[in-house]
Amino acid sequence: MSLGGIIDSLRKGHLPPLGLIPDPVLDFLAGLASFRGRRFELSTIERLLATMRHKEPDHIPCAPLVGGAYRQLTGASFRDFSIDANVAIEAGLLGLEVIGGDVLLLGLDLTVEASDFGQATIYPENSTAHPDYSKPLIKDHTDYRKLKRIEIKSAPRMQKVIEMSKGALKEKGLSSVFVPVVSSPLSVLAMMRGAEQVFKDCVLYPAEVMAAMETVTSVLIDYINALCDTGLIIIAPDMLFASKSGLGKELWEKMEGPFGREIAEVVHRRNCLVAIHNCGDGPCFDSMIRLMEPEAISFACLPDDCRDRKELKKKYGDQTTLIGNVETALLYRGSPEQVMEECRRVIDDFAEGGGFILAPGCEYPPNANLLNAIILVQAARIYG
Amino acid sequence: MKSEKNKEALNLIEKAVQDHNAKELNQGIDEAFLQRIPANEIRQSLFQGLELSRKKLFTPEAPLPQFLLSLEVLHQGLKRLSSAEGIGKSGGIPLVIGVVEGDPHDLGKNIISRIYAASGYEVYDLGTQVPVDAFISSVKEKRAKVLALSSMISTTMAQMPEIIKRVKAESPDTVIMVGGAPLDINLAKSFGADGYAESAVTVLEETEAAMERVSAKEKW
Repeated sequence: MSLGGIIDSLRKGHLPPLGLIPDPVLDFLAGLASFRGRRFELSTIERLLATMRHKEPDHIPCAPLVGGAYRQLTGASFRDFSIDANVAIEAGLLGLEVIGGDVLLLGLDLTVEASDFGQATIYPENSTAHPDYSKPLIKDHTDYRKLKRIEIKSAPRMQKVIEMSKGALKEKGLSSVFVPVVSSPLSVLAMMRGAEQVFKDCVLYPAEVMAAMETVTSVLIDYINALCDTGLIIIAPDMLFASKSGLGKELWEKMEGPFGREIAEVVHRRNCLVAIHNCGDGPCFDSMIRLMEPEAISFACLPDDCRDRKELKKKYGDQTTLIGNVETALLYRGSPEQVMEECRRVIDDFAEGGGFILAPGCEYPPNANLLNAIILVQAARIYG
Repeated sequence: MKSEKNKEALNLIEKAVQDHNAKELNQGIDEAFLQRIPANEIRQSLFQGLELSRKKLFTPEAPLPQFLLSLEVLHQGLKRLSSAEGIGKSGGIPLVIGVVEGDPHDLGKNIISRIYAASGYEVYDLGTQVPVDAFISSVKEKRAKVLALSSMISTTMAQMPEIIKRVKAESPDTVIMVGGAPLDINLAKSFGADGYAESAVTVLEETEAAMERVSAKEKW
């Protein structure tokens, strides 16, 4: 146990990375929280600790995964939310107060890393930012090897997320858990080349794509280290391509899997936790677990080797913490009663024995009414 | 003997599409031309190759990247057929497809568009970020029997009810299909669509079912 590291973190006003604490001590603390939770309401930290050590907390935690939708609380536009870290963090912290939940997502939009590499990006006022696909940075397969490494210090958008993290931890570093989503190397390339071309290039020009992934991964590692330096204890790599609707198992393991492993190893070396996000259809849980050893997986759809939620819990529930999987379409269109009922079903299937966090399958729809986010949080308290 | 050679050529074409092998496709088509196999039979083999891949899409036998390459090989084959003497575009059921305004994501739409084109539809692909009025005018101009709308983000998906309402007001018999990541069948119904396709695996069957429902004036 690194007592010095723990004290240093607490002195700086944020939680120590859990990897600094030996497993038996974590298990003891989680057991204590679980015991206390039978009679008293737990703090967010206690609840998450009990859950992630697979003990039953007072009620299951909730991660509403609200990102851009928080801007509704402050009246900010999508554009302002994407380009101004202060606007984003103000909305996020207000959201944490108003809506609640145990985890706050840190992020601006999905283009952050690609735009820092130089990909032209469009920031609409009323919708989420996206690459300007008429100006792809990677125009053909020969451009993969031309991709230049960038320095994090001069990467403005990643710096904004780092600023967000510092701001959030300064305000609530000891009472809340903040999780940044980091794009996977292939996701970054898809923003620069277009997803369809990247898919095809993985088969036709694998060496070129791998070379670019190596460049991107080295930058992502710097980014992750910078995020960990701010005091974050969980990093969420977005591994969308590790799914049936992505590359498929075999190709993902060959192409992006090694880079995913490298990214996870860095997070673990920093004593932080890996919470993979994968909202693809048929996520490859077995591959991701084998290569990245994530402490948690956030998912929208059933894994490619499970027929139903109960099988998923039985097969993977003791290997990782499950985060999910209320349908975002339901959150968009459903009545509060329908959302509450679906949350109850999800909780019934996953909550027993701990190791489960109630969440949407993907980011809370940015233009959906926030009432259903409140329902999510309430459902975790009532049924969890 | 000739029939045996014809069969071999057509099988080669079918397999080349499945295996996304452009070289074998060209060999198959060369042989088919040599044997004077009618264009519609060659076209059938091309489509059959894609159909076999489509039914296995998202399985280890046909992951998405390989399926995209199969689509590409199919189009190379269709191009060769089209440029060959006496073989023109086949026509089919007029269908307009596009991604709604504000949404630049075209992967899903491109796949669906090509599957429709390979399956007896005359496809008018309007591309991405299509304004509402462009959908309305295209449906009228092309006398589209089917309109397929795609959106990959929930913010832009919100335009679908308006498009559906306006198309239905002017062309009530046009069958409207919707698809995209943020949608599900209930959302599609609440938007007033006639059908919803979760993926390329089911899109043809769902479209046919929606056309039957609309033609029989059955409620979805």
